[in-house]
Amino acid sequence: MPLVALRDLHKRFGATQALRGASLELEPGSIHALLGENGAGKTTLVRALYGQVAPDSGEIAVDGKPVAIASPRQALALGIALVHQHSMLVPALSVAENVVLGERGSAFLPRARLHAEAAAVLGRHGVAVEPGALAESLAVGEMQRVEIARALARGARVLVLDEPTAVLAPSEVSALLQLLVELRARGMSIVLISHKLEEITAVCDRVTVLRAGETVASRPLAGLDAAQLGRLMVGDALPPPGRPPETEPGPVALRLAGLRAEGLAGIELELVALAGIDGNGQRPLEEVLAGVRPLDAGRVELLRPPLALLSADRQRTGLVLDLSVAENLVLPEAAHGGMPPVFHGGALRSAELARAADEAIARFAIRAAPDDPVRTLSGGNQQKLCVARALRARPGVLVAVNPTRGLDVGATAAVRDELRAQARAGTAVLVVSTELDEVLELGQRIAVLFRGVLLELPAGERSREAIGRRMLGAAAA
Amino acid sequence: MKRARVFAGPIAATAVAFVVAGVWLALLGADPLRALGALVGGAFGDSLALETTAVRAGPLLLVGLGVALSFRCGIWNIGGEGQVAVGALAATAVATRVAAGAPGLVALPLALLAGTVAGALWAGIAGVLKVGRGVSEVLSTILLNFIAALLVAWAVHGPLQEASGAYPQSDALPAAARLALLPDLHLAHSGLVLAVLLPLAIWALLFRTAAGLRLRAVGASPEAARYAAVSPELETVRVLLLSGALAGLAGAIEVCGVTGRLFENLAAGTGFTAIAVALLARLHPLGVLPSALVFAALAAGSGAMQRSAAVPSVAVQVIEALVIFFSVGFALPRRESA
Repeated sequence: MPLVALRDLHKRFGATQALRGASLELEPGSIHALLGENGAGKTTLVRALYGQVAPDSGEIAVDGKPVAIASPRQALALGIALVHQHSMLVPALSVAENVVLGERGSAFLPRARLHAEAAAVLGRHGVAVEPGALAESLAVGEMQRVEIARALARGARVLVLDEPTAVLAPSEVSALLQLLVELRARGMSIVLISHKLEEITAVCDRVTVLRAGETVASRPLAGLDAAQLGRLMVGDALPPPGRPPETEPGPVALRLAGLRAEGLAGIELELVALAGIDGNGQRPLEEVLAGVRPLDAGRVELLRPPLALLSADRQRTGLVLDLSVAENLVLPEAAHGGMPPVFHGGALRSAELARAADEAIARFAIRAAPDDPVRTLSGGNQQKLCVARALRARPGVLVAVNPTRGLDVGATAAVRDELRAQARAGTAVLVVSTELDEVLELGQRIAVLFRGVLLELPAGERSREAIGRRMLGAAAA
Repeated sequence: MKRARVFAGPIAATAVAFVVAGVWLALLGADPLRALGALVGGAFGDSLALETTAVRAGPLLLVGLGVALSFRCGIWNIGGEGQVAVGALAATAVATRVAAGAPGLVALPLALLAGTVAGALWAGIAGVLKVGRGVSEVLSTILLNFIAALLVAWAVHGPLQEASGAYPQSDALPAAARLALLPDLHLAHSGLVLAVLLPLAIWALLFRTAAGLRLRAVGASPEAARYAAVSPELETVRVLLLSGALAGLAGAIEVCGVTGRLFENLAAGTGFTAIAVALLARLHPLGVLPSALVFAALAAGSGAMQRSAAVPSVAVQVIEALVIFFSVGFALPRRESA
């Protein structure tokens, strides 16, 4: 009998069906891998188990008995703990204080006893961390191990780890994996979300693969190779994606030579479409190109300026939500004293601003008035505004990061059509996307960004499977 | 329709504050209608009352404009108090020492300019600390208030003390450095003309220039501004300089137009009331004018209320506090979810 069983869970968030028949059965004393593309529903599934998401339908059973888990507190009472990717420790408290935090009767503990208790807990679970150290002084991996020890001290039997290794250095990864193996030997059951194939094959017993919110496979890991896992993850029965624009490549427009920055481990690039799972360097690359992240080494050679950027996070970095459509459209032109024609000697010319806004709204079919705050626009209209703004600069190089994330079908098509049109008109377009179909549909050349380095796809290998394999880190076979 | 809604919040805040104050006065055993009547009469009842209100509104308006600007940029300049003080100090130093014998065409502009520059630099310290060292401007501007107050105390006990040495105050400013009274008036000085024109200028700056757009963008989303090639650091320093300049100018005008000399606690409280002025105005430059009048009227009418309704003048501070309290509830722009 499985220790924990999630059966046929469904969950809808607004227009998004996050789960549509997701199931997972966890055997006692095992490490279970949960695998899937970005947006496949992995996090939603484990949040349902931890009481942070209420499923619309489906059943959760613990020890064979159906349970309703409405809060993390209830999950913990059932012995289920979730270790988040980002530390949930209180940075200004010591390790010992964090370990006892929230436990009954922990007020007014003498420091010596507190440290002794915490040291006992940490020692029992093989976590070598000084109890008196402040949580903020720990390395990320140490924080994770403290969190695991804390969960175990509260009687957790089931540990769920949401992409724990994505934020770790390689040496920390092996320490974490070793700890997981030791815990399994003592009878713990573990769900491990990871994109890294070698980690999964190193420690996991079984694997459950989610695709578009649905469990497509749940089987022992033995006998599965990278290609099979990649195919399970991205699917091969889908209709072929649309075709990239057929244009003759022009001269090199953007050259990135040996970029090294925090999160980037040497990028060489001459204009391609990039695939890759979040957290493998997309964000640092975007920030380097936007000029907001310093480079440790290498250089960005912009051979056909200017460079315009469609930011991945249009609500945080792309647009100023409290400013109007028109103001957002011309904001980059307001930098450095203001550029004509909208600005003249630092002054804003209202007539020119209105004309610019009307033009953009008409050309990109943005459903909004020039004076509307951008906050009130739908995601699709916000993105069209971002496109309009990027193109106002008449860029020689256009970088689009996840350009259609969160958009509906119509807006997605509109944005992709515009990117193709720009490429045909001679703009060098770099699409960075976690959506494979988008990459296949837009990219004439394709490379995969994996842990800060690029794995280029040979011309003859344009397939979801070839990309999926490299997204998991499998070297080109 | 949209315009009407903009005014609804501040007006409702003021009205509710007065109703609650009335209930409170009644509980104290006073006649609330008579007290409030006396307050309004003291602020607007005759020409002298009107002039008093206008003179008190002047510095509130200037400092309030500066506060509104900096808050718009996401910078919490709490240092209006200190910036007014160093403005007054610098204007006095120039008028009584540097340009003591100069004619009016030189002495007055020099004194006003000195106050403006001093206020700007004083606030600029907070800007440099924030950008260079990551020091919260809330902390630094508050602490600079204390330093400014001590500077003024030192000046009027030391280098700027009047020649007779009788009191801790400066010499009277020479007539050449004084702002003339407006024709046929007894209190209202010509500096008030500036106070009426500046809201328009600041409005134009905010909404009709590249600098204003950058400033508002940084206030609403520093990250998005940075991606649009706008430097939040540069805008932070700029807005603090401008905000401090307005407060420094207010201090200079106070010395040149109202008191005629420098002493401790000159215009004390202006810098803090100005924050309430800016909040009640919803950080809108044109709203600062009526908003400053509300708080000036409360201050100007408090004496009359004490005399004719036997209500202690500290009751006015309670009303001021209520207006501030309710303006935070009613008048702060509400974040609408998309």
